[in-house]
Amino acid sequence: MKKILYIILLLSPILLHAEVVEHENILKLKYGGVWQVDPYLSPLRYNGQWVGIGNEWWQSFSKHEHWSHVGTLDLSGLWSYNTPKSNRLWGLGIQTGWGAYHYWDWQDKGLQVLVGPHLEAELMARYLMSNTNKPYSMDAAVQAQAMAGVSWSFSGKKTSYRLRYLAYLSVIGIDFVPDYFQSYYELTEGVMQGNVRCAGLWNHQSLRHEITLDLQFPHSTWRVGAEHRLLHYGTQTMQFHRQQVNLIVGCVFRYKVKPAERFR
Amino acid sequence: MKRSFLIYLLIYLIALSSCQSKNEIESTFSAVANIEALWQTIDTKYCFVEEKDVDWDAIHEEYITKARLLESEMSDNKNYQELLFDLCASMLDSLKDGHVNLYSWFDVSAYSGWYDNAPTNFNSSLVFSKYVPSYRMSGGLYYGRLSYELTTDTIGYIYYSSFSNSCANIGGVLSKLSDCKAVIIDVRSNGGGDLTNAYTLAAPFFEHETVVGYWQHKNGPGHNDFSDLEELKVTPNQYVHWMRPVYVLTNRRCYSATNAFVNCMTNAEHATIIGDKTGGGGGMPLSYELPCGWMVRFSSVKMFNVNKESIEQGIQPDIRIDITNPSQRDDMIDKVILFTKRQAK
Repeated sequence: MKKILYIILLLSPILLHAEVVEHENILKLKYGGVWQVDPYLSPLRYNGQWVGIGNEWWQSFSKHEHWSHVGTLDLSGLWSYNTPKSNRLWGLGIQTGWGAYHYWDWQDKGLQVLVGPHLEAELMARYLMSNTNKPYSMDAAVQAQAMAGVSWSFSGKKTSYRLRYLAYLSVIGIDFVPDYFQSYYELTEGVMQGNVRCAGLWNHQSLRHEITLDLQFPHSTWRVGAEHRLLHYGTQTMQFHRQQVNLIVGCVFRYKVKPAERFR
Repeated sequence: MKRSFLIYLLIYLIALSSCQSKNEIESTFSAVANIEALWQTIDTKYCFVEEKDVDWDAIHEEYITKARLLESEMSDNKNYQELLFDLCASMLDSLKDGHVNLYSWFDVSAYSGWYDNAPTNFNSSLVFSKYVPSYRMSGGLYYGRLSYELTTDTIGYIYYSSFSNSCANIGGVLSKLSDCKAVIIDVRSNGGGDLTNAYTLAAPFFEHETVVGYWQHKNGPGHNDFSDLEELKVTPNQYVHWMRPVYVLTNRRCYSATNAFVNCMTNAEHATIIGDKTGGGGGMPLSYELPCGWMVRFSSVKMFNVNKESIEQGIQPDIRIDITNPSQRDDMIDKVILFTKRQAK
């Protein structure tokens, strides 16, 4: 019975169809630092900067009380240098996700706890400037994640606040890993045997967590926060590692959409 | 149950936040660390360690000793980086491989022994002054018709100096030469470039998709850790099929992608390879960094001919010819003229 419940929970983003009544849309900018090791390109660590723009939209379900779902879309770019400063690494990425969460409210204390499954797809293409023969690499993965969060709403003299912590932990999925010293010629020619593999906690560790503070003024809501992302995956011979810490600034739009009226 | 789950989760998260790539190396200009990293890189990632006639373990001992000496006695020398570069380059030269290079911001090392003692067998000034005085250019392709002694407008000539330049118009160029009885593809002294151009240039000479060889890459640190052989195929050109004689002219300076092109053409029905053995370079080079930030280039993908024999040491021509008087005659082109005359009779 428990297994069935888990499966239903995992599939819940697909199963939930309801009329949306509340929307929260957040447009945000991210800027921070990144450090990474891509052993396909180089054994040296590359440190640099990360910039991104993202959109996140939350919607509650009218027919499923205490359930909401969220979609995310982030575009990002990075530029970094190896530690001897002899080479540059550029990157462009896209990340999108969708999940459904159950939440518990303690309205008298302003507390809310969220738990649910989240599906995330990420592609981060990298280009090593001074590597004439093997300049490309990428992180590519589709991951089912467990998400958990807690938020606390409270009021000040003139402003309302919402402090929220969210964490996404990858559990299982698929990812792309280039073979030990496979050339990109082979990859572009379609020689990709074994490059796409099942990934789980044992070989693909990914954690993304963020803490944000929403400042609710009378006519607008602003968000500030920080995000930490850790990605570690690979094989026995090659282990890819990326960490980033970003500052977040965003604008929150909240609105309600009435269900369509029906006339028979 | 809940408590133990939370403990496991906490341990997992702590372990996750402290993990790092085991492949990461520290940045340093230490001679010992760089020679060691260079040796390790070649030992575990270079695909020809077994094929080259070199005792790689003995090389390690020899160069680690030299590196220790350099580090202890010369680390304050203002030319320390140059000395370290020369030491690394000297170690790489022992592999006798034109695809092995060391790149720093102040120098590039290259092994040239694969062609140093071979005849040049090519004089481009002679070709374009006497044999093809009138020519056109399409991308990286120089083309015209042979015009020499008794021959006029019967043999097409295409010169391709580098596979880094585009040859995408090969179909169009062959269409322009469609009145010719035969065509010469001259790739002498072409040191290679983009491998995909090798297949583009070969494509019009095949009527059907053809397996022309195999490749495999290093898939582990052992000297014999390789992936399964994968087929290398030439897909015919969509618009032009040249089913008349084609003569590929080669010399010892044909390397890398040129070597791969010549390998393709050995499988073309109407092709004849004329000239000297190619220089080789049948491995696909990739690059990697050293602790000091310099880049080392080496082959990690092996390429084979259709008989699954390595083409690293070069490809023998069908007809072996050296140029005897480079300032007066091109014996290879003369041979093509002779063949064409015979066929005309």
